[in-house]
Amino acid sequence: MSARRVEEAALDWVCAHRDRFALGEDALAADGQVNRTWKPLGELAQVCASVSVGTPPSDPLHARVTELLDFAWQQTHKGEMFLLMQSLEPFATYPLEVYAAFASAGYRHHGYEASAAVVARTRGWRLTEQYPTRRLGVMEAERRSGLRPHGKVPQALVRTWLGGLPEPWTFERAAGYALTHVVFHLTEWGRTPQGVPPDLADYLRHWLPPWLDTCFEARMWDLSCELLAVAASLPSPPEPAVLEDAWQRVAAAQHACGAIPEEGSAQHAAPPGQDDPYAFTDCYHSTLMAVFAAALTTARQSEVERAGQGVPG
Amino acid sequence: MEQSSTSALLQGTVLDLASDVVSALRSGDHVRAGGTLAGVSAGGGVARAAVRVLGADLLLPATLLGCEPVPDQLTVFQDAVAAHPPRDDAAPTVVWSHWAMIRALRRLGRPPTGPLADDAGAEPDARWLDDAGWQYLTHQLAVLAPLALPGEECAVMRAARRRPVDVARGFVRAVRRRDWQQAAGAGRWLTLLDGVPATLGLEAGLDFVRLMGGSDPRVALQLEAARLMPAGVPL
Repeated sequence: MSARRVEEAALDWVCAHRDRFALGEDALAADGQVNRTWKPLGELAQVCASVSVGTPPSDPLHARVTELLDFAWQQTHKGEMFLLMQSLEPFATYPLEVYAAFASAGYRHHGYEASAAVVARTRGWRLTEQYPTRRLGVMEAERRSGLRPHGKVPQALVRTWLGGLPEPWTFERAAGYALTHVVFHLTEWGRTPQGVPPDLADYLRHWLPPWLDTCFEARMWDLSCELLAVAASLPSPPEPAVLEDAWQRVAAAQHACGAIPEEGSAQHAAPPGQDDPYAFTDCYHSTLMAVFAAALTTARQSEVERAGQGVPG
Repeated sequence: MEQSSTSALLQGTVLDLASDVVSALRSGDHVRAGGTLAGVSAGGGVARAAVRVLGADLLLPATLLGCEPVPDQLTVFQDAVAAHPPRDDAAPTVVWSHWAMIRALRRLGRPPTGPLADDAGAEPDARWLDDAGWQYLTHQLAVLAPLALPGEECAVMRAARRRPVDVARGFVRAVRRRDWQQAAGAGRWLTLLDGVPATLGLEAGLDFVRLMGGSDPRVALQLEAARLMPAGVPL
């Protein structure tokens, strides 16, 4: 399958652009752009945390993502920055959401966790107004950071687009991004497929193929890679033909440098002959999602193969 | 220029014929069903070609509601069947569309006469659908929507019955791509299939297709057929 080749090339790009994920001077500024500072770093940490868990230490990719995780943790001054962020914005949820990615990979700051627990005990924290999908994410971040989740997953799930099992032909971009994150939260970012309730698993197995097909056709590479990560997070993955076709399409969208543009025609965005054709903000997320989805896909495939070998012939 | 104006005329005639069928299905009014073809001579090439495009669905009011087809319409239909038997190398959808037209005539007790009479009943095979991906399967079924009838037994129907989830995926894809004709055709098939996941929301889906694409009479025709399916008289 092309997934492994896509993963290696995408990780090459990430490693080559590692410093672009670094936190700048504005990371703690009052008017700082979180989407340009903490968000990319948190996404790097989350993807690397997931890949490091799902990839055996003997695999060379394991060492590469561990190095990237170390780098990302250093950027937070080994967690000290989370305490500073909390002092500036005590009731913002995103610091805890970013921290949770590190915590899930064993990078912890006990002082921050103790401070976060104080804030998380308030009614104000529990009543933060947010989208249902985000609420599920915050509850998951609390759990991963050693705090008591402020709500129950089934109640939060039922208020999400995916949790309500909507007509699959009503799928559009925003619903797509919401549903992928619901699955990431339910499965600890692909680690526990059994976290997807059976009715949701059936629903996704039925409808991922047309969503993937139409997202690829619309050249929505970023969302397509997220959907592939969802496909690899289900208790029973979709038919092999669906995945084979999908990974070939991702591979075709990947530039020689390993980057995958978020959306649009690869040819238009990347004229031939340019070694590094995309702006960082136009490709970093889709490239990370390709690493994430490919790692999950190859890990699930190995599981299936191992299970197959275990069956007496 | 001449070619494009002929093509526009054909397209317009197809739409007019589809509108006639839609009116008839909505009202049960067989006279309106024959409106476009009233007074058309049997030799009218554009009318015949348009009848071939619409296929057996031209007689759908008679098939589903038991309306008596108007003589002019029936004459052009019979002539279209007789004048254009599929070539040996015709695509499977062309062969099946022809078969469906002959079948519709037989149902009305008007089997073809002349050279076609002998081999007209032989059912083609549907092997080309065996390994078809769900996207292609849905496309082909939508083209062959005239075969989606209650109680129909043929190889294409059996192929559809084996793959309800795939056809449902095709419906989702067609709606996402705003291909209302394919969505309506797939939706018509789905009303006849067991095993369609309930989460599809077919009824709301067909209403949505009508809302977005129902101004095209070819779309409306499939939706009317789908609406009549559950109440349709098994053939």
